[in-house]
Amino acid sequence: MTIDRARFDKGLRYDAYKEQMTRNRDRLEANEQRVELSNEDLAAFRALPRPVKVVVLAEDWCGDVIANLPVLARLAKDSGKLDVRIFLRDQNDDIMQRYLNKGQFKSIPVFVFFDEGFRELGHWIERPASVTEVRAKRRKEIFAAHPEFGSPDAPVDQLAEDVRVRLQAELVKIQHDTMKFANAEVVRELREIATRVAA
Amino acid sequence: MTAAHKVKITYCADCGYEPQTLDLAKALMLEFGARLSCIELIPWDGGTFDVSVDGELIHSMTRDGGFGDTRAIKDAVGARLSA
Repeated sequence: MTIDRARFDKGLRYDAYKEQMTRNRDRLEANEQRVELSNEDLAAFRALPRPVKVVVLAEDWCGDVIANLPVLARLAKDSGKLDVRIFLRDQNDDIMQRYLNKGQFKSIPVFVFFDEGFRELGHWIERPASVTEVRAKRRKEIFAAHPEFGSPDAPVDQLAEDVRVRLQAELVKIQHDTMKFANAEVVRELREIATRVAA
Repeated sequence: MTAAHKVKITYCADCGYEPQTLDLAKALMLEFGARLSCIELIPWDGGTFDVSVDGELIHSMTRDGGFGDTRAIKDAVGARLSA
């Protein structure tokens, strides 16, 4: 499978993607509002010699899509240099198979960057490793501080419902507390890929 | 007295595992009916898909991989009910 102009044009623009969402649109749009882009980052994208095309694989039930697609969308909107088309993962398995996470998992979102000749500049999957690492550390700390949560590796269905609800609240707090860091890491990694486009 | 047997399915809601969860729950409902006292569906995260019966983990995506074979899961639940 290769992406060419005809296939690219079949993708949804961001607003059309939002229109067809069946859930989580409020969360997606709230995240979109929360994205903070530095002048330096915006300048780097605005300085791209030509618009970069970005193919996205997404689904509206995925938490990483809800968190990270708005970052790409804001970069596209505020820089005017990213031409984004979104494809639903489960209807575009030929694209998905080419960008499996670790060659195995259908992780999303996937962002694939192309130059104007549809030569791939690079791709990005799911979330930055640094974000996974920070959240795993926080998760470990929470379990250490709350013996009632048991082992981090134990099935959560063994917890009493009230304990499980408190654990879930702590885990949601991790997402919230690390959101700013996560967004900055996403921007940093996307900037590194997009700026590979030849001058 | 008949023992109460409870199945719990913990699934990753962030991963869109609802269809597999509902398919399995339906298969267990049709197979065992009122022999199960409860089928509890627990939305979670982190790529979870765990199935337990009476507190015993009979399938785990993390441990065993995938969503598990429905026949094998039904057999494991049936064995528990017969014990």
